[in-house]
Amino acid sequence: MSEPADDRGPGRRQTSPEDTAAFEGRLSELGGRLDKIKAQREADAHADLDADMRGRGMAYGMRMAAELVGAVIVGGAIGWGLDKWLGSTPWLFLLFFVLGFAAGVLNVVRAYEGMQKEIMVRTGGRIGNKVPDDED
Amino acid sequence: MPDPIHQFEIHPILPIKIFGWDISFTNSSLFMLLTVVLITAFFMLSMRSRALVPGRLQSMAEVGYEFVGNMLRESTGHAGMKYFPLVFTLFTFIFVCNMLGMIPGFFTVTSHIVVTAALAALVFLTVLAVGFAKNGIRFLKLFVPSGVPILILPLVILIEIISFLSRPISHSVRLFANMLAGHITLKVFGGFVVMLLGAGTFAALSPLPLLMAVALTALEVLVAFLQAYVFTMLTCMYLNDALHPGH
Repeated sequence: MSEPADDRGPGRRQTSPEDTAAFEGRLSELGGRLDKIKAQREADAHADLDADMRGRGMAYGMRMAAELVGAVIVGGAIGWGLDKWLGSTPWLFLLFFVLGFAAGVLNVVRAYEGMQKEIMVRTGGRIGNKVPDDED
Repeated sequence: MPDPIHQFEIHPILPIKIFGWDISFTNSSLFMLLTVVLITAFFMLSMRSRALVPGRLQSMAEVGYEFVGNMLRESTGHAGMKYFPLVFTLFTFIFVCNMLGMIPGFFTVTSHIVVTAALAALVFLTVLAVGFAKNGIRFLKLFVPSGVPILILPLVILIEIISFLSRPISHSVRLFANMLAGHITLKVFGGFVVMLLGAGTFAALSPLPLLMAVALTALEVLVAFLQAYVFTMLTCMYLNDALHPGH
């Protein structure tokens, strides 16, 4: 054998102090790169979720409008029908129109509660958190 | 400019008249029939092997089943699974109708309020029938929220009744309005491309609405699925009210 005998065992034959330092440098660099990729991946997932929720936002918005308008129409129609029947034009129409509006607001509040629950479940609370209110 | 409303016109294909009623087989009927045939063929074909380890098609069918099944189970509990056939039929019908509508030149069945209103009325009447059959007169407790002072109770009951009656309206209008608005928007942007191409130097601007049309198509595919999902989800919620009216 031309090389000098090494007493540190077969696995460590080539590890000089400089090599160890270089190895540790590479290791920490690799760790840094991994962290960066992980953060990037998380940001991507968040962006995907955000885009998905934005698409749903339009559906939710349409739903809210339909909930409110539908109740006002039903209220108005009931009042109008009763007026025709009882000959009390326009008082019952006015009353039921306002009641229909109240029912519409009730619908919207209920729909919102449902949506909030659904969004919280779907996003794990990362998107759609409660915004702190001035009055709180 | 191409007429954006033209795509929603109904033409009779096979005129039929019975006792003065016009029940012609129209392009709308044709696409409903096509939808039903497609769904039936898909499920017959995909479930033919009934393998323990599902193949590709069978997996798709099973994913659809699990999706609707979970939705129903989460909102109504096990008692609601009896109504799975109704809910699953509604979901697949609306979903396939919406998706077929995304193919250029095809008719969108769900863009007519008469269709969505019929579907919503079906759900509404089912909820009423199931509610009274399961709970009898206790079903009316749905309109009496607990913990309301007796003084304003009549007012609250009136509001609750109006809110209940407005359900089929918002249920049907939402699906119809989404499909109608989406298809009109697509057509209008498509029309812009054609108009700009024929407008001399302005033709240079034509890629802009084209890009918009591409983006809108992607959005419309999402909306087609979402509206089917929302319709089914609301059906589940209404069924839950019928099964457990005490909130």
